[in-house]
Amino acid sequence: MTDVAVVAREIVLPSPASDGPVAGSVAAGEQPLITEAPGEVLFSTEAIQRRVRALGAAIDTDYAAECPILVGILRGSVAFLADLIRTITVPIEVDWLAISSYTGHSSSGVVRLLKDLDSNIRGRHVLLIEDIVDTGLTINYVMRLLQERQPASLKLCTLLNKSARRIADRPIDYVGFDVPDAFVVGYGLDYEQRYRNLPYIAVLDPALLP
Amino acid sequence: MTQARIRRQDAAESTGPVALLGSADVSFAHPSEAEFARILDFYRIAWQYEPHTFTLRWHPDGSPAERFTPDFYLPELGLYVELTTLRQSLVTRKNRKMRRLKELYPDIKIKLLYGRDYRSLLFKYGLQPRETAAAGTPPPDGEPTDAE
Repeated sequence: MTDVAVVAREIVLPSPASDGPVAGSVAAGEQPLITEAPGEVLFSTEAIQRRVRALGAAIDTDYAAECPILVGILRGSVAFLADLIRTITVPIEVDWLAISSYTGHSSSGVVRLLKDLDSNIRGRHVLLIEDIVDTGLTINYVMRLLQERQPASLKLCTLLNKSARRIADRPIDYVGFDVPDAFVVGYGLDYEQRYRNLPYIAVLDPALLP
Repeated sequence: MTQARIRRQDAAESTGPVALLGSADVSFAHPSEAEFARILDFYRIAWQYEPHTFTLRWHPDGSPAERFTPDFYLPELGLYVELTTLRQSLVTRKNRKMRRLKELYPDIKIKLLYGRDYRSLLFKYGLQPRETAAAGTPPPDGEPTDAE
């Protein structure tokens, strides 16, 4: 498997403050991985990796003797969790869950589990890994669900914290970045399933969408 | 617009219809409120629609001169939510009411979702044209207004 950090070094990124296209640095005979950002780059690959390492170090310290289960919420947390666990040195386990998303105009619809945990978390230390906490509605549901299973502890780690529209305001134990009130994509976050593979995080500019 | 509204009473006299996990039985004043209720239902967040009215100013004889009724109360979160998808003049008035509410009732937790917030929320769920959501385009002046 290709190391994300290695891939990131192969791509020439603008500074986080700049906008415009991201130029690919491509070896002879290879296809560019990323050619154009969908908007202003908010967090570069390097900035993300630095922050992920810092989060991993904090988790190392806090869970030194616990062997926590890191639970990623599919699909947005895939990139974050994949990088995060490689910065953690204490023993851990990894599990995933997936829940349905609101699609509108379904008056009787309620959120449901699409993929449940494979692990029994009763009596275990659980660290929930999320890509972004926005309204907090999703994470509120998931944490209530997991709390009912009586873990020894249940904490939350999110790469991005967008508090402007927070409705369900649960404490967040580990935060990568606070983000402005904008629609962001990349590093696992999508717009209509696109842009998850960007190695950086950018503000989606609708004018640049095809 | 307001004829379908529930009867309002002063704060602490909570008698509005209580809707928990079900928006079908409530008459909303604006489609955006109905959509927001469906989102809350989806994520199993209990809510009440306009259950409380807060008096903001009084006449010299002590009778209420100005009142404010937030759109939603989320009892599990202890949070009021007010939606405003309206034209700027009404947003300004609502902002003033929000400030007054916080002065008089500092323990009340209330969240004002502006039109841009609401459109972004719809965009997040793929329910709104992206140009409108991202640009924060204000609705036309003729858009129906919700009650305050």
